Amino acid sequence: MKGTYLGEFEELVLLTVGVLYDEAYGVAVMDEIKNETGRSVNISAIHSALRRLEEKGFVKSKMGGATNERGGRRKRFFVLTSYGKKALDEAQSLRMKLYDRIPNVAFGN
Amino acid sequence: MSKSQRTIVPPKWADRFLELYCKPEFLEEIQGDAHELFEVRVASLSAGKAKLLFIWDILRFFKWSNIRTTKVNSNIIAMTANNFKIAFRILGRKKANTLMNVLGISIGLACFMLISLYVKQEVTYDGFHSKKDDIYRAWVKEIYTDGRVFWDIATPLPLGPTLGENIPEVEEFVQISSRPTLVGRGEGRIADQLDIVTSNFFEVFDFQIVSGNSQDPLGERTNAVLTQSYARKYFGDNDPIGETISVQIGSEIRDFIVSAVSEDPPLNTNVPFNLAISMENKDILFSPGALNAWFSINPETYVLLREGTNPEDLSPKTKVMIKSVLDGTNTFGDVPVEDHYVVGFQPITSIHLDDEVPSGRVAVGNPQYVYILGAIGLLVLVIACINYTTLSIGQSFKRSKEVGMRKVVGAESNTLVWQYLTESTVVALLSMIFGVLFTFLMLPIFNDLAQTSLVIPVNLESIVVVLVLVAAIGLLSGIYPALILSKLKVINVLRGTTQSVFNRQMIRRGMVVFQFLLTVFLISSTLIMRKQLVYLQNQDLGFNQDAMISVPLYAKDGSTRLSQQITTAMENGESLIGELSRNPQLTDFAMGSHVFGTPGWVQLGFDANTGTYLTFNLLIVDPNYLDAFEIEMAQGRSYDGSLASDKERGVVLNETAAEYFGVSEDPIGKKLPGDEFGDHQIIGVAKDFNFESLHSEIRPLVIVQNPIPIFMGINDFNSNDTVVPKLVFRYHGASLLAVENALSPAWSKIFPDEELNFSFVEERLQNQYQNEARVNKIVSIATALSILIASLGLLGLAILVVNTKVKEIGIRKVLGASPRIIFSLLFRGFSLQLLLAAILSVPITIYLMNQWLDDFQYRISIGVEMFVFSGVLSLTIMLLVVGYHVINAARANPVRALRTE
Repeated sequence: MKGTYLGEFEELVLLTVGVLYDEAYGVAVMDEIKNETGRSVNISAIHSALRRLEEKGFVKSKMGGATNERGGRRKRFFVLTSYGKKALDEAQSLRMKLYDRIPNVAFGN
Repeated sequence: MSKSQRTIVPPKWADRFLELYCKPEFLEEIQGDAHELFEVRVASLSAGKAKLLFIWDILRFFKWSNIRTTKVNSNIIAMTANNFKIAFRILGRKKANTLMNVLGISIGLACFMLISLYVKQEVTYDGFHSKKDDIYRAWVKEIYTDGRVFWDIATPLPLGPTLGENIPEVEEFVQISSRPTLVGRGEGRIADQLDIVTSNFFEVFDFQIVSGNSQDPLGERTNAVLTQSYARKYFGDNDPIGETISVQIGSEIRDFIVSAVSEDPPLNTNVPFNLAISMENKDILFSPGALNAWFSINPETYVLLREGTNPEDLSPKTKVMIKSVLDGTNTFGDVPVEDHYVVGFQPITSIHLDDEVPSGRVAVGNPQYVYILGAIGLLVLVIACINYTTLSIGQSFKRSKEVGMRKVVGAESNTLVWQYLTESTVVALLSMIFGVLFTFLMLPIFNDLAQTSLVIPVNLESIVVVLVLVAAIGLLSGIYPALILSKLKVINVLRGTTQSVFNRQMIRRGMVVFQFLLTVFLISSTLIMRKQLVYLQNQDLGFNQDAMISVPLYAKDGSTRLSQQITTAMENGESLIGELSRNPQLTDFAMGSHVFGTPGWVQLGFDANTGTYLTFNLLIVDPNYLDAFEIEMAQGRSYDGSLASDKERGVVLNETAAEYFGVSEDPIGKKLPGDEFGDHQIIGVAKDFNFESLHSEIRPLVIVQNPIPIFMGINDFNSNDTVVPKLVFRYHGASLLAVENALSPAWSKIFPDEELNFSFVEERLQNQYQNEARVNKIVSIATALSILIASLGLLGLAILVVNTKVKEIGIRKVLGASPRIIFSLLFRGFSLQLLLAAILSVPITIYLMNQWLDDFQYRISIGVEMFVFSGVLSLTIMLLVVGYHVINAARANPVRALRTE
C-alpha cells in the first residue's frame, strides 16, 4: 500500500523524532542523527523526510512559541503518533523475526 | 554570543531568494532552521564559510515541494479550463445553432481572407525591397507658359547621371527602359521585350540571383540576366549560364552572354523584368541625340536616397541642378527654366496606388477599387458576426435561468462575461479552422474568376494575424450578448418575471436591419456594376469588330527611320494579303498603325496658326481600313484605293477633330490649322467612333495614308504602342485552329524569321474593362456569400422566434386563428425589417455607385428597377429561408404545443 512503506532514512528520522520527544525540530533532528550515526545530512533532506512522514501520518507537528534565537522565528516540533510508533514496532519486529531465523552457521565463527 | 558575532548576518539576497520562492506555510520553519544553522556555524567556522553553507542550504531547499505556486494564477487557469468545458458542452448541446454560426462565420472569414489577400497584394507593391524606404522614382514635369503641362514618368536619359553627380543625397540611381525586340537568330525569332537596366539594378532592388554571378551580374556590357521562367523559355532545362542569347537592337542582331538567372519578380512590383541587359550599351541602344537630350524622354529613373532623406527637401537642389544644365535653352521662353522644368520624386511603395501621378511601365492601380474591395470584405465578415450576435441575444432568454443560478452560487458579472466570451471565442476558433480550409479550397476558383494569382502565405505573420482575427471576432460578436446576460438581475430571473426587454429587442432588430441593409446594398451594387459592364460591352463603338483578327507586321530588315519602317511593313503586309486572299474564309483585309482595343495610340501636338497648342491622335492606314471596320462617313468620302492623290495627301478626320480644328462646316478640301504641315487635303469626315476605351471621351483623330506631311508639322510625338502597322481581316470560319492553319504557311513565306502572333479585336476590346470585370466578379462572389451568410442568420432567427412563440401560436390557434393569420403574424416582423433595410440602402447605394460610375465617360443611370429587383430578390430569398419553419409552426397541432408545461 502506497504511503505506508518506511524507507531506511525515513525510519532513522522517525526514530530520532521519537528519541527527541518534545524537542524534535529540523536542526535538532539533524544534529541528533549526526551525533548518533555520524551521517552528515543536509537540513533540506531532513525537512523533506519530516514532511513525508507527516503526510503518511507517522508524525504530527505543531508550531512552537517564539524564540530569541534564529531571529525570533518559531520552530515546527514533530511528535511521534501512535501509528508511527506502530510502524516502528512493525519494522523492528520484522527485523528481529528475520534476524532470529539466521542460522548460526551463517555467522561463520 | 558576543556582540561582534551577532552582527554577522547571512547574505541578504539568499534570504530574499528564499522568501521569493518558498511556500508561505513553510517559510518560517525553513528560514528559522537555516538561520539557526548559520548562527551555529558562525560560532564554529569562519564567517565566509558559514555564508557559503547558508547559500548552499537555501539552494538545497529550492525543490518542487517547497516552491510556491501562485494561488490566483491557478484559479484563473481552472476557471478558463472550466469556461472552455462549459462552452464546448453548450455548443455541443445546440448543434444546429452552432453549425449555423460556425458555417456563417467561416464563410465570412474565407471571403474576408481572400479579399484581404488581393488587397494586400495591391497595397504592398515593392514592399519586398530591403531599401524600400529610401527608393524613390523620379518624375519630370514640363510646364509651358501657354498652359500645356507634360507630366512624365519616362525621364530623359541624362537625368540619372546628373542627379547622381549634383545631389549628394542621391546615393545610387537606377534607370530602366523596355522596348520590343526579336530574340534569336535565323528561324523562329520570338517577339519579346528587352529590359535595359543600369548595372546596379540588382544592388538597389532585391531580386534574388539563383544561379550565376550574384555579385555583379551586369558587370560587363555583354552580360544578360534572365528570370527563371525566361531561362526555361529559351534554354529549357539546360543551364543557361554562359550561353548566348541574341536580340535585335535597331537593325542589328547582337549577342549577349547569360551571366545570371534571377528568381521571377513577384507580381506586385513596379520594376519587373524578364530579359535584362546593361545600360552600358546605351550608345548602341539610343541615338546620340537622346543620350544628352532633356526633352526626349525614355527610361524610368529610380534613386536610392541617403537614409532618412525627405525628397521634398531636395527640391532647391534639383532646381539649381536644372538651372545649370538647362541654362540657355529657350524652350519655355523668357522665364526661369527651373520653375518650368520640375523634377520630383515619389516613394516606390506608394507608386501603385497613387493615381495622380501618371503610369510608368507598370499600370497604376485604382485605389478606389482597393478600398471598395477591402470594405466589402469587411462587410461580409461583419454580416457573419452579426449572425452570431443576434442569435446569441435570442438565446439569452433561454439562458437567463442559467445566469440566475450562477449568480446565486456566487458568480460575478466579470466571470460571466468571461464565460460567454469564451463561448464566442470557441465559435470564432472553430470558424477560423473551417475558414482557413475554405480559403484553401476556394483560392484556385477565386484566382480563376478574378484573374489573379494569389497564394496563401504560410508564415509566422499570417498565424499571428489569424489568431488576432479569432480574438477580435470572438470579442466583437460575443461582447454584447455577454454583457446582456451578465447584467441580468437574479431576483427577476429566478422569480420568473420578465424584465424590460425593449432595449435588447430594439438592438437586435437594429442589427438585423443593418445586416439586411448590407446584403441589399451588395445585391444592388452587383446588379448596377453588371449592368454597366454589359452596357460597355454592348455599346455601339462606331465600328464593326465582329470576327476581326489582328496580326502585327514587321518592317523589312535595315529600315531604321520610322516612316521607312511603316512603309516596308505595309509592303510586307501587301504580300501577306496576296497570299491570304486566296482563302475564301478571310475577307476585309486592311492595315493600320493601330487597332482597336490597344491603348497608347500615337499622340501628336503642334502650334496651330490660331496661336493655340493642339493635340490629336494619328492613325496611319491603307485605303481599306475604314471600310473593313465599317466606319461610316459623316461628310465627304472614304479613301479610294485607285486614287494616287488620296494616298499622297488625303486626310480623313473624325467629327471631334473636325470640330476641334474648327473645320466642321464644309471641311472638304480644307487643311489642318498648322503652317508647317506638308501638302495635304481633307477628303472626308468619319462619324465618331470609340477608338480608345469607354473610360475616356472620343479625342480628335486624324487618319492618313501618308504620315509624312503630318510629321512635318508637329512639335510633340508621344506613343506607348508601336506604330508599325498591323494587318486586320475578318474570319468567317468556325474553328480557331483553322485561323492558324490558314495563316502560318503564308506567314512563314513573308516573315521566315518572326513568330506569328494574332488576336481577336473583340477580345482585346473586352480586356480594356478587365479591371472592372475583375472587381465585379469579386463583388459578385462576396455578394453571393453574404446572401448565404445572411440566409443562415435568418434561418437561425426564424427557428428561434418560432420556438419562443410555440405557446402563443398554440393559444391563437385554439382561439380560432387560421394558419394564414399565424403565418402573416410571424412573417410580418421579418418583412418589415427587410423593407426598412431596403429603403435605407437606396441612398447609400446611389451615392456610392455614382462615385464608381463617374469613372466612365459612357455610363448607365441607376434605375429604379435595380432596387425593385434587389428588393424582390431578397424578399424571395427570405420567403424561401423562413417559409418552411413558419409554415410548419402555423400548421402545427396546437395540442402538442399546449399539453406540456
